[in-house]
Amino acid sequence: MPSVAVIPARNESRTIGQIVKKVLNYVDEVIVVDDGSADNTSNEAEKAGAFIVKHAINLGKGAALKTGCDFATRRRATSIVVMDADGQHMPQDIPKFLNKLKEYDVVIGYRSYGQTMPVVFRIGNRIIELASLVLFGLHVRDTQCGFRAFRSSVYQKLRWKSPDYSVESEMIARISKKRLKYVQIPIETIYADKYKGTTILDGIKIVFNMVRWRVLRSI
Amino acid sequence: MISGVQILGILFGFGLVYLAFLSFKRHEFTPTEWGFWTLLAAAVVLMSLFPQVLDPVVARLKFARALDLYVILGFMFLISALFYTYTISRRTQVRVEELVRKMAINEAMHKRRK
Repeated sequence: MPSVAVIPARNESRTIGQIVKKVLNYVDEVIVVDDGSADNTSNEAEKAGAFIVKHAINLGKGAALKTGCDFATRRRATSIVVMDADGQHMPQDIPKFLNKLKEYDVVIGYRSYGQTMPVVFRIGNRIIELASLVLFGLHVRDTQCGFRAFRSSVYQKLRWKSPDYSVESEMIARISKKRLKYVQIPIETIYADKYKGTTILDGIKIVFNMVRWRVLRSI
Repeated sequence: MISGVQILGILFGFGLVYLAFLSFKRHEFTPTEWGFWTLLAAAVVLMSLFPQVLDPVVARLKFARALDLYVILGFMFLISALFYTYTISRRTQVRVEELVRKMAINEAMHKRRK
């Protein structure tokens, strides 16, 4: 099974069905990890053609992504695309990621800091970008963009410990530590809900974690 | 003449003895745990009734008064309890995560085989 999309989801019954149907046009299988949803996320995703892996309780985005990627490697996927379940990422960008995986280990999408990105996200992203550059020597635009792809062969080197929103930054830290070949590509984004996703407190925690990883060399 | 701080200490000590006893009766504490907390509470009551008991220790450690020693000991105890609770909490969090993820993958693999 060459390419798999892993989509962690929690209470996304409104959007998950459409996303799965669109993503299936570009990958061989879609794995939706239901991270303790209280609504019909699993059923909607399954009806649309996704394979469901369900957490009994909510663990967080990082844990859900890890479950999905562990499962994808067991299913012998060669390329893994990870994306969000809220319709923020355009499935038609997937071929760009898969194409770049022919020469790079990891492909990271970046969103433009245009007028559509909420101000708080823009400021927070800039701060985390700066922290990545100072702490890990990697200039990565939009470190919190969850639209990424990597080869299964490098998954064990990338495999993260963070159970929460720190997963994106930890991946970047691991790319630096393991000297993986990476590239960034621009993606389109839609912000349907300004208040969803990482909060200011999450941002502070992410920067704190980055400092901890660097100082303690714990990744 | 007994001071207000001493009265507070005695009341706190007796309160702790009562709560430890309740936990023991509810089978939440083992006899050892009940014994430990009761002894600690008894020590608090005794030190409140007879603060001069610790005068040699206070003088040796060069504290101005016994209350300063109690405050420092209290902080040390709180920090230790906090560290212990944090360690247990982190360990439980990691174990729960591993268990939930393992169960999810096993269930999915089993479903796939069907």
